[in-house]
Amino acid sequence: MSTAVGRLVRAELALMTRDPLVLTFVFAFPIVTMLIIGGAFGTTPDQAFDGVNPAHWYVASYLTVVIAATGLVMLPVHLASYRERGVLRRFAAAGFPRWSFAIAQLIVGLLTTAVACALLLAVAAPVYGVPVVHDGWRVAVALPLGAIAFVSIGVLLGSLLPSARAAQAVGLLIFFPSFLLGAGGPPPHVMGSVVRQVAGPLPLTLLTNAVRAPWLGLGPATGSLIGVAVLAVAATVVAAYRTAL
Amino acid sequence: MSEPDVVSVRGLRKSYRARVVVDGLDLDVPAGEIVGLIGANGAGKTTTVECVQGLRRPDAGTLRVLGYDPVTQAGQLRPLVGSQLQDSALPDRLRVAEAIDLFSTARARAGGELLEQFGLAARRRSVFSSLSGGERQRLFLILALLNRPRLVILDELTQGLDPAARRNVWAAVRQLNDEGTTVLLVTHEMDEAEALCGQVAVMRSGRVVDAGAPADLVERHASTATIRFSMPDPPAGLLDLLRRLDGVRQVERSGALVTVRGHRRIIAYVGAALVRWEPVPTDLSVHVPSLEDALLGLLNGETGEHGEPVACTPADKELAGGRR
Repeated sequence: MSTAVGRLVRAELALMTRDPLVLTFVFAFPIVTMLIIGGAFGTTPDQAFDGVNPAHWYVASYLTVVIAATGLVMLPVHLASYRERGVLRRFAAAGFPRWSFAIAQLIVGLLTTAVACALLLAVAAPVYGVPVVHDGWRVAVALPLGAIAFVSIGVLLGSLLPSARAAQAVGLLIFFPSFLLGAGGPPPHVMGSVVRQVAGPLPLTLLTNAVRAPWLGLGPATGSLIGVAVLAVAATVVAAYRTAL
Repeated sequence: MSEPDVVSVRGLRKSYRARVVVDGLDLDVPAGEIVGLIGANGAGKTTTVECVQGLRRPDAGTLRVLGYDPVTQAGQLRPLVGSQLQDSALPDRLRVAEAIDLFSTARARAGGELLEQFGLAARRRSVFSSLSGGERQRLFLILALLNRPRLVILDELTQGLDPAARRNVWAAVRQLNDEGTTVLLVTHEMDEAEALCGQVAVMRSGRVVDAGAPADLVERHASTATIRFSMPDPPAGLLDLLRRLDGVRQVERSGALVTVRGHRRIIAYVGAALVRWEPVPTDLSVHVPSLEDALLGLLNGETGEHGEPVACTPADKELAGGRR
């Protein structure tokens, strides 16, 4: 890969392997929390979980936690740090094509989520088993669309926030409520009506619905899928514009 | 027909909120020259070169760099410009060799040769955060030169380098210029500007206040030389003779110390006069005005260090390396 995007992707992947803290959060946090919460609710089908095995409910939900961790925590800090330290200016001055950095970040973000998702399923399989995918096409569309949306949101946050510290604070502030309300926390049926109303339109809730419902045979979740698609397009356009070199 | 200027700037203006940083700047950098941009902190030097590279959008003015408009044609321009930026960095964990690979285009020179030339070959596998300040500067210079640029912009080139490394870098810049590359050098180091630049533009408050060859600037703004020597009981005729010498403006005596000031040609005349009177002073010292003296005079906009009036030459007198 000798194009500018190829060179950037290669360098970014090499750098990622040398950053154990980021890797821990993106790869280990979803797995550990999935094991804990899946174990807490057991494997007996429950009406609170739309009548499915709670552990399977969480396995299907936690793929989106991986995506959100990459988009809301890893990328904003990474990009804000680059901007703060003048790395982006150096890329721009060196003649890297205008969109090369944004595209490279998108590719790296998607590769990261793919690897982290595979790892999560590899750990879940011997412990809780991986639930049968009822509507593979919808899941196959929702996952990459969600990854694109969250990677773009992360790139956008990184381009807006003034420093790596600010990016970390804001990223975590968005990530944890989204995580608890939209993917890794209690199922919507046990939430109060106000909390459920707040959780409903959150991007991570939409994505989790768009993945989990067709996966577990709970419905097509077309509205959520459309919401994720709109979010993916909008976030990608704005993020690419903001990170143009 | 003469080659067009590599950089041509007219009426450049740039503000950050209410603060005007560059205020109607004109600048020309002829092909094949090393042109220095000097001035106090906050004079607008870095902002000027960032506009030239297309890294900042000017509020007003016209810029042509290698025939391109840096605002609308940055994509075509930037690959032709090598730059060593002030206040920029590389990712902490990026290795030196990886940085070379990352920044190498199809036009790139052999990175290994540049690493050898700048003494970084042994640091090939070191990560950026482990490099010393001088090593980082040298790596940035390598990256600036890597893709055979037609114009190189160097901002605070030798900041943090030890004397030997500075000389090494200066030699590399001269070699680059000998090969035909045009260089725009932003510096606070006057000895660097004198050593490297054929033309220098002095900036104050966002404008070029004077420009020309370093020697011409010294001549215009700090031509007074100062000679001091001790003579406990100088013969009366000697001091009279010194006062009458061509170019001498002032002869002072304070105890045994005699101070003679005047145009720098007095150095030869005073020396010649002194050897005719015995005993010849053994502690004779000469202060020759430098570009730094000229800069101080220009920036202060007042009487120079050695007592001569210093005028701020209008910007239109002669632009850097400008059309004569």
